[in-house]
Amino acid sequence: MDSSNDEALDIIITNVVATFRTRCHLNLRTIALEGTNVIYKPEVGKVLMKLRKPMITASIWSSGKIICTGATSEDEAKLGARRLARCLQKLGFKVRFSAFKVVNVLAVCSMPFAVNLINFTKNNRPIASYEPELHPAATYRIKNLKATIQVFSTGSLTVTGPNVQNVATAVEQVYPLLFECQKPRCK
Amino acid sequence: MSSKVCKNCGSSDIDVDHARGDAVCMGCGSVLEDNIIVSEVEFVETGGGGSLAVGQFVSAEDGARHPSFGDGHFSGMGKASRAQTLQRAKQHISIVGNQLQMNQHHMDTALNFYKMALIKHLTRGRKASHVIAACIYMVCRTEGTPHMLLDLSDIVQVNVYVLGRTFLVLARELCINAPAIDPCLYIPRFAQMLEFGDKTREVSMTALRLVQRMKRDWMHTGRRPSGLCGAALLVAARLHDFRRTVKEIVNIVKVCESTLRKRLTEFEDTPTSQLTIEEFMKVDLDQECDPPCYTAGLKKKKVQQLEIEIKKKMDDVEGEIQEYQEEIDAELESSRPKLRGVYAAYAKGDLENDDENNILSMSSKLVDDEEPEDEDELRAVAKHFGKDLNELTLEALIKLEQKRPEDEEGNQEQEDDGDFPQRKAPSLAFLLGSMPSSATLGLSESISSCVTDEKENNGAADSGELDLSGINDSEIELYLLSDKEVKIKTALWMAENSTYLKEQKEKEAKIAKEKALGIYKERKPRGPNRKHAPIRANTADEAIEKMLEQKRISSKINYDVLKDLNVKPCASPARKAESPKKERPAAKLAGRNRRPAQTQLSLSTPLSTLGKRLQPFISGQPNKKLATEQIGSSNPLPLPVEAPASGVVVESGPVVYDDVPGDEEEDEEDETCVSALEMLGSNDYGCDGDYDDGF
Repeated sequence: MDSSNDEALDIIITNVVATFRTRCHLNLRTIALEGTNVIYKPEVGKVLMKLRKPMITASIWSSGKIICTGATSEDEAKLGARRLARCLQKLGFKVRFSAFKVVNVLAVCSMPFAVNLINFTKNNRPIASYEPELHPAATYRIKNLKATIQVFSTGSLTVTGPNVQNVATAVEQVYPLLFECQKPRCK
Repeated sequence: MSSKVCKNCGSSDIDVDHARGDAVCMGCGSVLEDNIIVSEVEFVETGGGGSLAVGQFVSAEDGARHPSFGDGHFSGMGKASRAQTLQRAKQHISIVGNQLQMNQHHMDTALNFYKMALIKHLTRGRKASHVIAACIYMVCRTEGTPHMLLDLSDIVQVNVYVLGRTFLVLARELCINAPAIDPCLYIPRFAQMLEFGDKTREVSMTALRLVQRMKRDWMHTGRRPSGLCGAALLVAARLHDFRRTVKEIVNIVKVCESTLRKRLTEFEDTPTSQLTIEEFMKVDLDQECDPPCYTAGLKKKKVQQLEIEIKKKMDDVEGEIQEYQEEIDAELESSRPKLRGVYAAYAKGDLENDDENNILSMSSKLVDDEEPEDEDELRAVAKHFGKDLNELTLEALIKLEQKRPEDEEGNQEQEDDGDFPQRKAPSLAFLLGSMPSSATLGLSESISSCVTDEKENNGAADSGELDLSGINDSEIELYLLSDKEVKIKTALWMAENSTYLKEQKEKEAKIAKEKALGIYKERKPRGPNRKHAPIRANTADEAIEKMLEQKRISSKINYDVLKDLNVKPCASPARKAESPKKERPAAKLAGRNRRPAQTQLSLSTPLSTLGKRLQPFISGQPNKKLATEQIGSSNPLPLPVEAPASGVVVESGPVVYDDVPGDEEEDEEDETCVSALEMLGSNDYGCDGDYDDGF
């Protein structure tokens, strides 16, 4: 996913969150007792199961809804989810893999220049907001893409969005705005 | 106030006393009017001697609602509620504002912000104190007062980030663009708190210059402004021979010691720090610096690059060493006494093993490594032991049982072959074929998953079938414990969570007991709102019927009757004495909309046959209702209105004919109960007249 103008910006996806349902009731105690790498949280009512192969942590609820986090790509998330379902199948539950959906994608990207956050916020009110007392980054929310971009003064970006395509588009959209407010490099 | 002539004696000298509300004839002394409605302000004495004005509070903002009489108690409270909320907000704002030493103008602005938030329903779901603090902070930001969010959070005792979140939401919703915080704003405030005495102003100026310099050196983006101020003030104080310790400053500025130190070191890195005091006050360096985290980031990058380079070099060196090693080994081999027979084959096998791992250099290297003298001999031997050699190599690579049958197949192939290279070829293919399946290399998963990725059917997700492609079962089994392990884990887990389990048991026991006693209250979690099925109807009547059935607007309506209305207007059985207002529009609409279907009946039938439901309306202001109904009904049908008008007893009094039926009807409803017209119209006077007659 490279884009924007002439240079290629490396957008590195660090986290993909996906949910799916097993369409059957799961007995958390069984999973907790018979699985390796599981953490049972009875107060909350869920089991955390960690897979090694795609490095994935899954929160499993007894209703059969599962949230899968930690994957580095959408495909990996799906693979991990299927593995998890297979694992549950082996434990004896009548698991059916349905309603797989990637819910959130977190990516980081670095601009080759530093950004003047105050100018950036001034130019883009009210879409951008910057509160140095609270958080060192300026937050830029794109409504139609449902993506949020956090811009740091060093030029690094953190982008979150519902899927990888949106994330890439968001970076493309914001690049020209950042380019305008860049800090001139001196040293 | 109409009569200017006394009814008894005919004199026109009438004294109207507004205070007492009387109209008295001066001629004969008869009281003509009593209880005139007055508009004087009356006072009532309260316990303790104070006096209160009599009357209801009517909000100036809500405007044109009709004052309600009789059943007005609740709605009167409703209007005052908004005023009460604002009153409370004003109080809170003034309390907090006084602690912050804000002036009245700021507090009024804050109250205005609060009003705006109220109108936009932003106070719902948020603690009032949060919203008030956010409004005050907004005023501080827009006016540029040196108040930090931290101060507010101290006063209100709320987490600063929670306050910040509320503030951001408010600012976004109210479209208020608060200008960015300038650390220069805080300097005078902190300088005062540091007690510099007479020199406060000079120290502030120095600190201001320092902060501006910092801004130009890009030290201030992404940092708390208070931290910068603290550092600047520390330096400024030292410059003017004031000894202020880091701790004092930390107490006032509210940042951590380490933050302060870090800012100082960053400033040290800038070229400005090299100037002397006088130079600093006079000269402003043009050169700007990169922000410190940027330079730190660059440093990191450099270090990383260096590391990579070093690694590359090391790899190269290792590669060279490897080559030398191999050459040395080869030399050693050649100089070693040659093994004959069986052992030669095995020795060769090792060499081949290494080479075969390197698929690319396979054939060429094999040929090279072969000693030319013993080629033929080795070939023969190798061929003889081809099977074993293959097994050797394969066993080295493969650990899975499944491959054994393949081994045998491969071996059978090889026995047929004669040539040495040919023997190698199938083994190469064999190895290639077997390598992807070796779990240790870990390639199997990725390769097969790549291959099968395109084949993955999206329909699988919907059908619920689990697509097992790319999932290695045996690996999954690793994730599951064996029975023995399960037992151990169960024991451990039970021991760990004994308290929790006990609680659960107690809970269940309690529920069982309550059930037995019949007290048990099932607290079901609220499910999502059940969506009604969309109404499908052919005509508007049906639609309204169905809607009424579904919605059940009021408990006082007998819906069964409504249903019957459609069938037989004359034979409607039940009669509701007091039907609430809401029913009327619905019923009216229903009734009205049904009219067109039955207009023939209604227009010609006299009132009595219209059904008992409609009769109470008829007795009140029949002409109004009927007229509008029939007008409404006559809209679709161009029948003259006079026909119904003649059949109806027309009462004196204004009849409003309007072309907007729906709204009109609602207004009519209100007016029948409360209209001033009614009060001031002839009816009342009729009543009064009765009194008069009896007098």
